[in-house]
Amino acid sequence: MKATQEEYAFHQRLLARDDPTAFAELAEWLYTSLVHSTCARAGATADPVLVEEAVGQALLDYHDAPERYDPDRSSLQSYLSMVAYRDFQNARAKEHRRLKHQVAIADTPFGDQEGGVDWDMETLLDHVQAAELWKAIQAAFPDPVERQIVELLSDRVRDPDPYAKL
Amino acid sequence: MNEYKPSLTRLARLAHKRPDLLASLIAAYQEQEGLDDTGLATFLDCPPGMLPRLALCRRPRQAPHFRQDVERIASYVQASPIKLARLIRAAESREALGQLSGAGPSLLLAARDREEREGSQDEPPDAS
Repeated sequence: MKATQEEYAFHQRLLARDDPTAFAELAEWLYTSLVHSTCARAGATADPVLVEEAVGQALLDYHDAPERYDPDRSSLQSYLSMVAYRDFQNARAKEHRRLKHQVAIADTPFGDQEGGVDWDMETLLDHVQAAELWKAIQAAFPDPVERQIVELLSDRVRDPDPYAKL
Repeated sequence: MNEYKPSLTRLARLAHKRPDLLASLIAAYQEQEGLDDTGLATFLDCPPGMLPRLALCRRPRQAPHFRQDVERIASYVQASPIKLARLIRAAESREALGQLSGAGPSLLLAARDREEREGSQDEPPDAS
């Protein structure tokens, strides 16, 4: 499906690079539906904050280089949703790889898990899959702000500014 | 997931790193003037809810388009064009000064030379 008339008009305004409100108007029009459609694509267990961030980056990247989008090939919404979903998948895969080696995160909330699992590093690396760990973290921290704090802690961020901004 | 409410404010925060948009200029102005979002909206005479939209606007082009772009943006976010222009100019000046300060000592030396020359106008100009 090609770009709609409205999408095409926005695309031309962005290509011209002389319209100060074009991007803001596009974001105002498309942002919410884009986040929801990308969340639906990502599935019920996806972190909506991560999805929203991926959508935001996709929109901003489109603003920086609108010529990368071909309005004859797909609608703008489909294009941006596809880019955002791909970025979200990459971010999630990166997160899983990082969590796989974070023994400190696994230790605290999950130490009293039933089943008698020994949570030393060797057992963790042998038995705990990164995806299960991520699900457990999402369950332990339903609040997206708390999850972001956990991410900062796992990244060993010592600067107080990112925490203050949350 | 249907209950999740996306926010243009989050997009505006991401936009801080994009030099073509107003987000970084506005954030710099807020920091230098000690203004929170309410204070900024009051200064600009605009509804606070319009600030994320303002941040996502493209920076006005330089003259001869500057005034036209500022008026367009001000109209879009319901702000005072004069105050918006003042904010942009102040933030851009501070930004340019920040970039120049990378030259540091040589800039200060030039200022000192000029002062010394002005103080002794009878002396011939320095040949160097």
